[in-house]
Amino acid sequence: MSKAIVIGGGTDALVAAQMLARAGREVITLEGNTARDEGWVPPKVLRELRLEGLKLEWPDPWLTVPLPGGGRLELWRDMARSVDAIRRVSEHDAGRWPEFCSRIARLARFLEAVYAAPPPDPLSARFALRARRLGALGLADLLRILPMPVAELLDDWFENAALKGALGAAGVLHLLQGPRSGGTAFRFLHHHVGCPPGVFRPPRSNIVELLHRLPRVELQQAELMRISVRGGAVAGVVLKDGRELEASTVVSGVDPRRSLLELVEPGWLDPELVRALRHVRRRGVAARIRLELDRSPGFSALALAPSLDYLERAYDEAKHGRVSRQPYIEARCEGSRMEVLVQYAPYGVACRGLLEKTVALLGEHWGDAQPQQTEFASPRELEDSEGWPEGQPHHAELSLDQALWMRPLPELARYRTPIEGLWLCGPAMHPGAGIAGAAGLNCAHAILGR
Amino acid sequence: MLRYDVIVVGGGHNGLVCAAYLARAGRKVLVLERRERIGGAAVTEELFPGFRFSVFSYVVSLLRPEIIRDLELPRHGLHILPLESTLTPLENGDYLGQWNDHDHNRRELARHSVRDAEAYDEFGLMLHQMARAVKPLLAMAPPDPTSLSLGELFGMKRLAEHFQGLGARRFNTLTKLLTMSSADFLDEWFETEALKATKSASGIIGTLLGPRSPGTAYVLLHHYMGELDGVFRAWGFAKGGNGSVSAAIAGAAQAAGAEIRTSAPVSKVLIRGSKARGVVLEDGEEIRAKLVVSGADPRRTFLQLVGEEHLPDAFVDAIKRFRFRGASAKVNLALGEAPDFTCLPGRGAHLRGAISISPSVAYLERAYDEAKYGEVSRHPYMDIVIPSMIDPSMAPPGKHVMSIFVQYAPYHVNGGWTDARREALGDTVVETLSQYAPNLKNAILHRQVVTPADIERIVGLTEGNIFQGELSLQQMFFLRPVPAWAKYRTPLSGLYQCGAGTHPGGGVMGASGRNAALQILGAA
Amino acid sequence: MLKATPFHERTAALCLSHAWRRWAGYIVASSYELSHEREYHAIRAAAALFDVSPLYKYRIRGKDAARLLDHVVTRDVQAMKVGQVAYTPWCDAAGKVLDDGTIARLDETTFRMTAAEPNLRWLQDNAAGFDTTIRDVSTSIAALSLQGPASRSILERLGELSPLKYFRLAEATLSGIPVSISRTGYTGDLGYELWVDSNQALPLWDALMEAGTPHGIVPAGMLALDVARIEAGLMLIDVDYVPARKALIESQTSSPYELDLGWAVNLKKERFIGRQALAAEAGRAPQWQFVGIEIEWSSLERLYAEVGLATRLPAAAWRTSVPIYAGNQQAGYATSGGWSPLLKKYIALAHLQARWAAPGTQLEIEITVEHRRKRAAARVVKKPFFDPERKRA
Repeated sequence: MSKAIVIGGGTDALVAAQMLARAGREVITLEGNTARDEGWVPPKVLRELRLEGLKLEWPDPWLTVPLPGGGRLELWRDMARSVDAIRRVSEHDAGRWPEFCSRIARLARFLEAVYAAPPPDPLSARFALRARRLGALGLADLLRILPMPVAELLDDWFENAALKGALGAAGVLHLLQGPRSGGTAFRFLHHHVGCPPGVFRPPRSNIVELLHRLPRVELQQAELMRISVRGGAVAGVVLKDGRELEASTVVSGVDPRRSLLELVEPGWLDPELVRALRHVRRRGVAARIRLELDRSPGFSALALAPSLDYLERAYDEAKHGRVSRQPYIEARCEGSRMEVLVQYAPYGVACRGLLEKTVALLGEHWGDAQPQQTEFASPRELEDSEGWPEGQPHHAELSLDQALWMRPLPELARYRTPIEGLWLCGPAMHPGAGIAGAAGLNCAHAILGR
Repeated sequence: MLRYDVIVVGGGHNGLVCAAYLARAGRKVLVLERRERIGGAAVTEELFPGFRFSVFSYVVSLLRPEIIRDLELPRHGLHILPLESTLTPLENGDYLGQWNDHDHNRRELARHSVRDAEAYDEFGLMLHQMARAVKPLLAMAPPDPTSLSLGELFGMKRLAEHFQGLGARRFNTLTKLLTMSSADFLDEWFETEALKATKSASGIIGTLLGPRSPGTAYVLLHHYMGELDGVFRAWGFAKGGNGSVSAAIAGAAQAAGAEIRTSAPVSKVLIRGSKARGVVLEDGEEIRAKLVVSGADPRRTFLQLVGEEHLPDAFVDAIKRFRFRGASAKVNLALGEAPDFTCLPGRGAHLRGAISISPSVAYLERAYDEAKYGEVSRHPYMDIVIPSMIDPSMAPPGKHVMSIFVQYAPYHVNGGWTDARREALGDTVVETLSQYAPNLKNAILHRQVVTPADIERIVGLTEGNIFQGELSLQQMFFLRPVPAWAKYRTPLSGLYQCGAGTHPGGGVMGASGRNAALQILGAA
Repeated sequence: MLKATPFHERTAALCLSHAWRRWAGYIVASSYELSHEREYHAIRAAAALFDVSPLYKYRIRGKDAARLLDHVVTRDVQAMKVGQVAYTPWCDAAGKVLDDGTIARLDETTFRMTAAEPNLRWLQDNAAGFDTTIRDVSTSIAALSLQGPASRSILERLGELSPLKYFRLAEATLSGIPVSISRTGYTGDLGYELWVDSNQALPLWDALMEAGTPHGIVPAGMLALDVARIEAGLMLIDVDYVPARKALIESQTSSPYELDLGWAVNLKKERFIGRQALAAEAGRAPQWQFVGIEIEWSSLERLYAEVGLATRLPAAAWRTSVPIYAGNQQAGYATSGGWSPLLKKYIALAHLQARWAAPGTQLEIEITVEHRRKRAAARVVKKPFFDPERKRA
């Protein structure tokens, strides 16, 4: 049986490898294990891999938002509890919350269906029919909200600055845009996919553990030098130690630019595709801090964004090539272990003092807890340690022009490359960007001709 | 018996176009204009003796060729003179020129970047294809995607077929143009900062967005729309200023039998039995007609002229969400001599074109950043023409008028638009421009500063937004002004809308007025 | 505004006709004398000197220079010997011609490429991953074309010149000036192109004119060149084909096969831009062919006689699209044509649909005689119309 090599250890690569193995192919995976357990897992992935026991977890409250005068706004999984909490800061917003959540949830369900399959053809009758099922109001919402800035969306519904800031952050995570930028409402929606109504942060899951329980696919912890191509078709890979592994199918979970422009010899791709690949935007903007505290901090998830303008100003600095002096900070905890995202720390810009500043800002909210160990990674360091190009975990920014049938490029959106036998999976492929495993599944289907 | 079939509220260019098409089709039309002159924001005023200003809009860039032809506007006095070039002075004393002649332009671009000179032709070809792809949409009443009526479904189907006909490559390029920022889009083609900035600038005109804001790439198309028909050359400078555009359209309307009354401010739409039956003027006079068409912007039309109580709640909510946020200002100068630019001294051909203060994308983006938080840009973007260099009749011999379009001057400026703030804006503009043309200050004989508040007050454009509403994707095409009401009709029977707050939006295009008329005539 | 070539000081002084035209943003002479006739005859009878500096020129150098050019153009560059010059088209990914020019191998790792259109961006973008440097030497290298039976003798008077074969290149010193000489040209005759540093342009011109005068050297302009190149069956960009980059619709593009350049497409190469599309096309017969047309004099004579005129043909070549018919159907169109003073024939270059493109096929070409559209008899012939032995000797 013809061999397949899967490069990359992310969730998508693991799923693709498993799917190919199940179909009887001899599969080798390369380049280790970098799968993350964040994000919603489409039910289809679970069904096809017969994975049972998936746990999706959101902290409860799923977000704690410090308020300007002291005190906190806590947003709960239970809608009524959130309404009560919001009422304490704004009667108006409390009244709007349920309807906002239900309208956004309806759009998220629509996106879920879209994300469960390969990218839709926007001009097809099929897609139109699917969109129509949203109803007149839902469809109008979809058409308006997709291109909108998340700030406008939130301004349409709410008045409280802290609430809007905390929600608005979901529209700009891992994006070099601010809440006033178009397309950030789409990002906000994308984040909501797979979440219960009223919860606007992605879950953690045990998908990696489940995938590892499956019969193991052969793993080689070897470093890849290049993908060999002969006569326009893939022939296998060459490792750094000089060994050549033959295969008629190579699936790369590494980002598209590296896959096609660095791992493949020049000359096999049309110059236009090469140019387009170089222009795929994948700018990392977030630094990661891991902390071990001596006790629980008193919150499960915290967002420091007092207003939409706060986020916008933080973005302004990054836009001009600087680290935000007043960064957006989001912290998520398991017991005394905390993982923090700090935005905006643009790739390649020195993050002097950012760790200290973040710890100081967080420290205002975690009571007497003391940090024992801290680990700081800038986008540049994340590129090295996690293999995220330019520190961007999504490999390609999730902007509207790099989404759906254009993700990461229209020519590559269906997982196939112009080099026969070479395929792409990974977060840069639809639906990608935090949706675990679906790109790998879709890619495998495409390879197996389903 | 009703004297009029149609009353058009507002004598702006869209209202006039609408009136002209209706009159030509045999309807008895009355246009009612609040000011003592027609034209809305397309007017020429002799603010100081001998000096004629296009006070608000100042170039003809988008006037639809079919309107020029259908209404025979040249016969009614429209004469478009070509704008030959765009000069972008640079902060280091150099400049970037963009010239009409292909060889001349290429040589100048190559001076900055050989790659950009080579990319320029391909870029132009691509935009040409995109303009062709979009052109049919401009003359269309947008189909309603949320409606289940057979007519609308067919409309959507035809739209899908049109896009399918472009082929995948062009459709995807169009999608990129619609969703990307102009800066990102241009980064894929060019490396010269000043070129990217000057082209981006057309993407931010009339919006509260910056060149890095997604959704601004689309407006790059606008210039190419005017060029699409080759020698027809529907863009340039109107002899006699933009007022002559309005005058020509008014002339065509009147020649077809339309009546125009100025100094006739409408206070309300006359509503009887849930139907629009005419209008009431501010002095109480009632004028009846079968139909009323409003050329005013959506907020003014529905919340002021009609009134919330006569409209469905959901519609009113949606109208209230329709965003304006004007951020443009004008500074009009009467000069004793022509400006002398340090980067290109003397009275060269460049003075007969546009001058763009847009030396880099970062410059524009910083100007935008300040406006986001309610400040006037300290180093504003400017688009400048010197009409008297092209049409000497605009100023006394040897003297000049200079028209400076400025961004950003947000309507919701911190502290509001006081007289002092208006003058400060004028000073900022003069200061900034003087850095590039040091003789300017001493050459100024008179100065007029028009803030967004002034635009609102004088012309009636809400929040001073020159496009009657932002040109952002979420309020464009079938969403303009609100979903399900993008075909020039309104929830009030007998009332139509024809201003730029409808598709295809603003600029001195006339398309909204024409499309509305065709809808009314059932011809669309 | 417009650029002047390094030879402009000399050419301007000689341009008695004041007939200038644009070429790649430069001004060049259409003719120097009041008529181009003598300039043309010099090409075939003595020697004509053309300023061809507006050509775009690139120097490609490096370990992967041959591999890069091999990737870009349709011919086999890696097999080229040092001192060899190859004429080649190059295509886009769809196999449609972008441009045509020459590649000269100066040494193992150095090439000089000429082109009609600017190609720096194309070369640079395709060079990613290749170890090369690419320099645009269009303005730093001036170029002259010396064409005609006396051309060799003139050059020999200026320096040591070892025998140079057709489409070969050598470095030489002419009158103390280092010059790169290629036995190439656009006239289909014995001739040489001279590539020199721009700051040595005027001395070279002067040296050539001095040495050439006893041999009948004549500075010649584009009108003369046009006639000669049509006789030689050589196509001209923007006239005989639309480069793919400028095409507004697909039917305006041409593949090398449709331009009679199939011989320059080497499908044995494993990969080059457009290979896949060209391989597919090679499997089918091309729909269009680029051929020579001879218009029957007697037919022309008859058409003019019918209105009481003697046959009147323009002296200069034309570059417009002229329909060609096969009975009721349009068989194709001519794109360049004119009277050949040497061959005494009215000839044209044309694109014909394949079924009418065989040599000997009788067709009709449109001609306007006294404001009326008429058709003259014409015949398909093989190119070139003129192919003297001395061209390759």
